[in-house]
Amino acid sequence: MLIGIDVGGTTTDAVLVEGGRVFRSAYVPTDHDNLLGCLLSALDKLTEGVSPYKIERVVLSTTLITNMIAEGKTDPVALVLIPGPGANPKDYHLGQDVFILDGAIDYRGREIQKLNESQVKSTALELGNIGFKKIAVVGKFGQRNHVHELKAGEIVASVVPGVQVELGHRVSGQLNFPRRAATTRLTVATKDRYREFADQINAALKNRKISAPVFILKADGGTLPLDKSVNMPVETIFSGPAASIMGVMALMPTTQTSVVVDIGGTTTDLALILSGKPLLSSKGARVNSLLTHVRAFAVKSVAIGGDSAVSVNGDCIAVGPHREGPALCMGGPCPTPTDALRVLGMSDIGDAAAAEKAMADIAKRLCCTPKEVAQKVIDAVVDKIVSHVNEMFREWEQEPAYRVWEIVKKEKLLAQNVVGVGGAAQPLVPLVAQMLGAKAVIPEYAPVANAIGAAVARPTLTLNLRIDTERGEYIVAEEGLTGRADRKNMNLEQAEQMARKLMNERANKMGIGEYANEAEVTYSEIFNMVRGWSTVGRLLDVRMEIPAGIIPAWGRC
Amino acid sequence: MAAKDTSNKTGKTGLIFFPAFDWAISPTHPEREERLLYTRDQIFEEGLMDLPEIEEYKPRLATPKDISRVHFCVPNVEAQVTEAHLIAAGSVLTLADAKEEGAIRNGFALVRPPGHHSMMVVHGNRGFCNINNMAIMVEYFRTRYGHKKIAIVDTDVHHGDGTQDIFWHDPDVLFISFHQDGRTLYPGSGFPNEMGGPQALGRTLNIPLPPGTTDEGIHYVLDNFILPVLKDFKPDLVLNSAGQDNHYTDPLANMRFSANGYARLNEKLAPDLCVLEGGYAIETALPYVNTGIIQAMAGLDYSHVREPDYVPGKFVQSAEMKRDIEATIGQLQEIWDNRDRLVEDALAEHGQFYRRRKRIFYDTDMINEGQEETVRLCDRCHGYMTIASQAQKGYGILNSAFCVSLPRNACTSCREDAREEFEEHKEDSKFNYVYLQDKQKDTYHSYETRTRNQRDY
Repeated sequence: MLIGIDVGGTTTDAVLVEGGRVFRSAYVPTDHDNLLGCLLSALDKLTEGVSPYKIERVVLSTTLITNMIAEGKTDPVALVLIPGPGANPKDYHLGQDVFILDGAIDYRGREIQKLNESQVKSTALELGNIGFKKIAVVGKFGQRNHVHELKAGEIVASVVPGVQVELGHRVSGQLNFPRRAATTRLTVATKDRYREFADQINAALKNRKISAPVFILKADGGTLPLDKSVNMPVETIFSGPAASIMGVMALMPTTQTSVVVDIGGTTTDLALILSGKPLLSSKGARVNSLLTHVRAFAVKSVAIGGDSAVSVNGDCIAVGPHREGPALCMGGPCPTPTDALRVLGMSDIGDAAAAEKAMADIAKRLCCTPKEVAQKVIDAVVDKIVSHVNEMFREWEQEPAYRVWEIVKKEKLLAQNVVGVGGAAQPLVPLVAQMLGAKAVIPEYAPVANAIGAAVARPTLTLNLRIDTERGEYIVAEEGLTGRADRKNMNLEQAEQMARKLMNERANKMGIGEYANEAEVTYSEIFNMVRGWSTVGRLLDVRMEIPAGIIPAWGRC
Repeated sequence: MAAKDTSNKTGKTGLIFFPAFDWAISPTHPEREERLLYTRDQIFEEGLMDLPEIEEYKPRLATPKDISRVHFCVPNVEAQVTEAHLIAAGSVLTLADAKEEGAIRNGFALVRPPGHHSMMVVHGNRGFCNINNMAIMVEYFRTRYGHKKIAIVDTDVHHGDGTQDIFWHDPDVLFISFHQDGRTLYPGSGFPNEMGGPQALGRTLNIPLPPGTTDEGIHYVLDNFILPVLKDFKPDLVLNSAGQDNHYTDPLANMRFSANGYARLNEKLAPDLCVLEGGYAIETALPYVNTGIIQAMAGLDYSHVREPDYVPGKFVQSAEMKRDIEATIGQLQEIWDNRDRLVEDALAEHGQFYRRRKRIFYDTDMINEGQEETVRLCDRCHGYMTIASQAQKGYGILNSAFCVSLPRNACTSCREDAREEFEEHKEDSKFNYVYLQDKQKDTYHSYETRTRNQRDY
């Protein structure tokens, strides 16, 4: 049996699944000050009377890191940059406690200015004196050559006793120095607290005699073994929406294009599954105001939901964006879409008379019937959701591309399905689908789709290999791995074979070796380097990924 | 609707980066896949696209009509352009729309292939260019948005002879090109005495600079001539044909301009839109120059952009070079100051029609073209123009074409005469193709004499 537990904003949902069916589900209210406690009480409720030996796999999602960042409770970190020539680091708006070192690496990974070791020492002493215990060292093009990051990190560690140092190239191998800097800082800023959480989970499971492997869900819908995830805590942000999307993938496997609509009390989360593949945000997640390299599904949160406040502005009805409390029919303070649904007979939640009164009050001011008001409220909600869905498709179509064929061949996609998950979705999804010309689908187990998604999501993993045959070198930044590449005329196929081999090794190291065969080349490029009029070498880049997917044990896909 | 203010200083800088990573003239040609690779690495690593000051756009494809507004493509547009050209030209149009809609304050089309050596008639590729992105943008701005006066400053190291040719007779387009002296560099033209057709004298200004000209020299030209002339001309828009081959490491030219010099130039010039032209020091210049230009346009600090081997004071301008440049500027100042009298005198001298013969060499495609160009010097409009063109490749005739162009402000008489020229030449077996470019009605016609097949855009 597989366990999935998704910690959401209001409730923590848990399921026990076996052979493509939900064997049992449970939920507890989320207590943000005691995430561990509510995770464990959901687990205990779920596993009551179930032998721990029958449990084969446990997957958790957590809002721990999301909340730490949102509440500004991350640990103080000194961000030490080696920016070299280019932008003024101030223009990156990376916040306080930024320290700048001399030294530069260029786009080919060549050293163009030496690291000034005595400056590193004096900066380290200063950081130690200020009292920093956590330091992120990030160099521009450090992913193409990490000697400066390694050396600076080593000096800082030797000068400041007991300091934790995180290096940029280990966090991401992709281009984008400010995102790498922000992600590296968040990583070191959340590591201790996350490790503590992971240890507590491990201990608690041990107490319960659950010896099944434990995984954590990431923003890209993938899982990682809990003990490996301690090196990359930031990847656990935004795992709630990821859980819902993976739930839809598990419950209705298809190669069609679908919109996933998760309508909650105050917000509606929208996501796209394009030709069967969930859309990732193109460069990485935005965490508050910080742009990061964290791979995440492209999720749009729209400030509208079942409890959005309905107000009258002249002749117009406005819905949201704020919430004043539950619906009037649920004993709340002001009229909401939930009341409108009740009046139209589209739901049977709450007190019918209270809902009728909520709409009647507005109807009097607008000289129409309560039913007409209710219809207008629902139309406003549906319009808003539909316009945001269209905007998401438009943004996807407008994503820049850098090759002729990508621009010429990019097809236009239309939604074929609108899939509703979450509480308020049921009555509204057919209306949204109708306006989009798509089929409305409420999958079986929709209310716990998120927990199912967590339970059956498989691991994901990324690897960036770069080969420069003119310099005779290859590098895998995330692994801190470099080596010789002596074949001047290496072709893309050979580079991809090499990437696959390295991916196998990386997957084994991560404890997810059995999924290595699922890895796909998601990006590759090859450039001949011509100097004068002759070819002197090649630049090859291969990105390999184990993409989001469902484990075979689910038995449905 | 809110009042549109396109002159505000707070708007964003629009950027289209289209490196055409799958397009090359030939595998080892300077205009190959690799050209903007290191620029990509640098500007992506800098995270420039993420900055709130910058908005990245996706290009659209230009249409044959957009291209026909400028060019007579022989035999047709499809034969002269690849999809890469349509995307590069479409990029400038996308930015033109964003600028007009007020979505951006200024913009930079960092795209290839380039365009400024493409002339009005196109038989093939010359100077790495097939169609002129800058000119296509200018005509689009005028047709779609009704702009009248536009200034183009060509900051590429090579003379922008294609752009010059296209706007030669147009008094409403000010074309200024500074470049390495044509006696020492392709295409061998661009001297002060090339100053426009009889009705547009002084609206083409060529500033040849001695090889080895430094930041100091170019900024002298900018401060003492280009900026004051722009102030006099009062254009609706200032556009920069932003080549980057004045750089001291460019392999195809011999100037000594730096990345900082280029950034400062764009800060002072404050162009509404920039379009990339040449620049072939793909590792040592382009990553730094492009970063600097983007920063300068976006109002960001560019002082940290520096080539690895650059130190301030690396190049010093000699006294002789200074005198040389000052003398050229003196000569041009006189042309500019006397432009209206020059036009008056020329019109008095030429009578009803002005004719000139041209020979054009297409270095990439090894084509020789002979043209006879005739413009009516009309006192009610800019006058219609005809070009009889014959292109030779090797010892054989490649194609011949008769082209008729009607200006946007054409008078009835010019309209009628132009139409007549078009119809008459359809029966003329000397020409394979006959064209009518009607900018007034924004309609474009091409006719193949052998098949009697007409196409209209």
